[in-house]
Amino acid sequence: MLPFAILFSLVFILPIIWAIYSSFFRQVSTGGGAYGGGTLVNKFVGLTNFQYVFTSRNFWLGCGRVLIYTVIQVPVMMGIALALAMILDSFIVKHVVGFRLSYFLPYAIPGAVASIIWVFLYNDQISPIVKGLKAIGIPVNFFAPGMRIVSMANITTWTFTGYNMLIFLAALQAIPHDLYEAARIDGANNFQIAMKIKLPNVRGAALLAVLLSIVGSIQLFNEPQIMQTMDQGISKSYTPMMMALNTSQGSLTPGGDGPASAIAIVMALIAGVLAIGYAFAESKVNEQ
Amino acid sequence: MVGKKRILASVAAISALAMGLAGCGAGNGNSDASTPNKGEKVTLTYMHRLPDSKGMTLVNDIVKKWNDKNPNIQVKATKFDGKSAEMIKKLETDVKADNGPDLAQLGYAEVPEVFTKGMLQDVTSEAKKYEGNFAKGPFNLMQVDGKYYGLPQDTGPMLYFYNKAELDKLGITELPKTADEMIADAQKTAAAGKYMMTLQADGNWLSGMAGASGPWYKVQGGKWAVNTNTEGSKATADTFQKLVDAKAALYIDRWSPTFDSDIQNNTIIGTVGGAWEAPLIMGSAGEHGVGDWRMAQLGDWFGNGTKTGPNGGSGVAVLKGSKHPAEAMKFLNWFNTQVADLTSQGLIVAATTEKAKTPEAWAKFYGGEDLMKEFATANDNMSSFTYIPGFSAVNSDIVEKTAKVADGSVKMKDVFDSAQKTSVDTLKNYNLPVKE
Repeated sequence: MLPFAILFSLVFILPIIWAIYSSFFRQVSTGGGAYGGGTLVNKFVGLTNFQYVFTSRNFWLGCGRVLIYTVIQVPVMMGIALALAMILDSFIVKHVVGFRLSYFLPYAIPGAVASIIWVFLYNDQISPIVKGLKAIGIPVNFFAPGMRIVSMANITTWTFTGYNMLIFLAALQAIPHDLYEAARIDGANNFQIAMKIKLPNVRGAALLAVLLSIVGSIQLFNEPQIMQTMDQGISKSYTPMMMALNTSQGSLTPGGDGPASAIAIVMALIAGVLAIGYAFAESKVNEQ
Repeated sequence: MVGKKRILASVAAISALAMGLAGCGAGNGNSDASTPNKGEKVTLTYMHRLPDSKGMTLVNDIVKKWNDKNPNIQVKATKFDGKSAEMIKKLETDVKADNGPDLAQLGYAEVPEVFTKGMLQDVTSEAKKYEGNFAKGPFNLMQVDGKYYGLPQDTGPMLYFYNKAELDKLGITELPKTADEMIADAQKTAAAGKYMMTLQADGNWLSGMAGASGPWYKVQGGKWAVNTNTEGSKATADTFQKLVDAKAALYIDRWSPTFDSDIQNNTIIGTVGGAWEAPLIMGSAGEHGVGDWRMAQLGDWFGNGTKTGPNGGSGVAVLKGSKHPAEAMKFLNWFNTQVADLTSQGLIVAATTEKAKTPEAWAKFYGGEDLMKEFATANDNMSSFTYIPGFSAVNSDIVEKTAKVADGSVKMKDVFDSAQKTSVDTLKNYNLPVKE
């Protein structure tokens, strides 16, 4: 218990307390003169940082982008993951282990590396994909303003589909096979078994997977941050998490740890509210 | 209940530990400072972002020469791999923790910002000793409010880089002199799918052109007077807007691999850039177009006459908390005057102690041109541009807006209007006085 408590408080509790504390401060100069005398002091500013976050147009634009992104990406990914899990689980596929591993493999690649690979695959001068599509008469620009979110969603889907598939597959394989036999005796075919027995039984796993994905989407960072290195049309506040980082580095104004912490805390609150709301809705659905 | 107590106890233990560590650090620091024995061996740390690529004289090799000759002042150089904003964030944290390096490389545009953040140590008297070794303009860029914080390393006056062979082929044998001529010529090349002008989303790059004939920021009566819409800015906005409207300038991200391939397939045959880009453009071109490229002073394309502006360039500053500022400056003066070695790193040095020679590979790429002479001319024509604390926020605003100019959703004029607002907001957020 003790080693856990120490590590937990060191890497989890303390940073949170620190973030909350610093969100009430701003670094301002008090030395006077045009350059402020060369000393910044931490000044208690009450809720000013939070007021800034709540009234910041860029923050809400970022939230809107994340929302659109989540609405596109999560259902698509869940659909593919579920379909793959169903196929692997059914007797169509013999070598489950090999398939399971190959679908899961992208997840083993760190998110940042995956993004770098994809950004190169999106680049119109280098990418075999873009060149190939062009050759068959389909010109695409993965960095076009309307395409950016789709391009990012594709990276995330590629990375996490296998991971979600594993959750579904585990749930599917936990279903007692007696149920299938009973259904078959009753005259059900494979499709009916899949729809009437398998699907309802993975509901719990689906809840978990969707919840994890929503929390992940809210933290959307790797994909836009790395795409930005090749596409400066992606602003420093493209998503709230990027905004938090760039605020702390002073690339946005107001800058510094105070406003950055406030952004992070507001995002954590939003994520918490969404997660609770989703869990609540899901339990209502399950009750019926 | 027991569990709760245990947690409390461990939290207490951690805080005690943390306090202990902090106390320990402070104690060590104090004892160091209280024994400044002259003649004793000191060790300096120096953090830089120099390229250190293949074929260059590595920073560690330059430093080794110093270390071999100066047993009492040993220097340890560390290369920071990352963007300058990340390095500044790291330095800020380190300086606060009294753990920063003695010396760190800073872009000239970052010096006021880093000063305002309280990270610099006043070394005016030391700097004055070495004043004669450096060009006046860059030397003054290491100054804030009349006090000096380090020594300049390299300069970045803006010049025009172009592929002469390609321009000749298109019948442009002489560079355009005025904005109208530039636009007309650029249209001619664009019709052939080649671009002799680029538009880049980069605050240092754009402010270099827009601020060449009149700076954006002035201190008047202890307050900041901000005007990012100078005559130069208007002329720059006008020229680029016309180029964009005529699809005669290529909007490009300078640091993406696309730039390299565009140079290699002759899509880009001309671009404005800082002097330090000379070797970088060679790198982008690879084996392509060797001997075809040239470099020239900017024409009067942005309402600046013969004036040019700065784009980047950096110096090395002594950070707050350094226990040996005098020794640090002594080393720095030596290091920043290693002209040949620094030139090999692709720098256009600020030192005037010896004449920099154009490296052979550069001369070969630029058709035997005496690049160093062009650099010197550009240096002489460079305006003094004062940056405000927090210019990095202005820079990223310019980047974002310029990227939108390319897709037509924003006009060039709006870029500078937005810069005005961001500049004022940034200063106010730092609680610095602004003249309205």
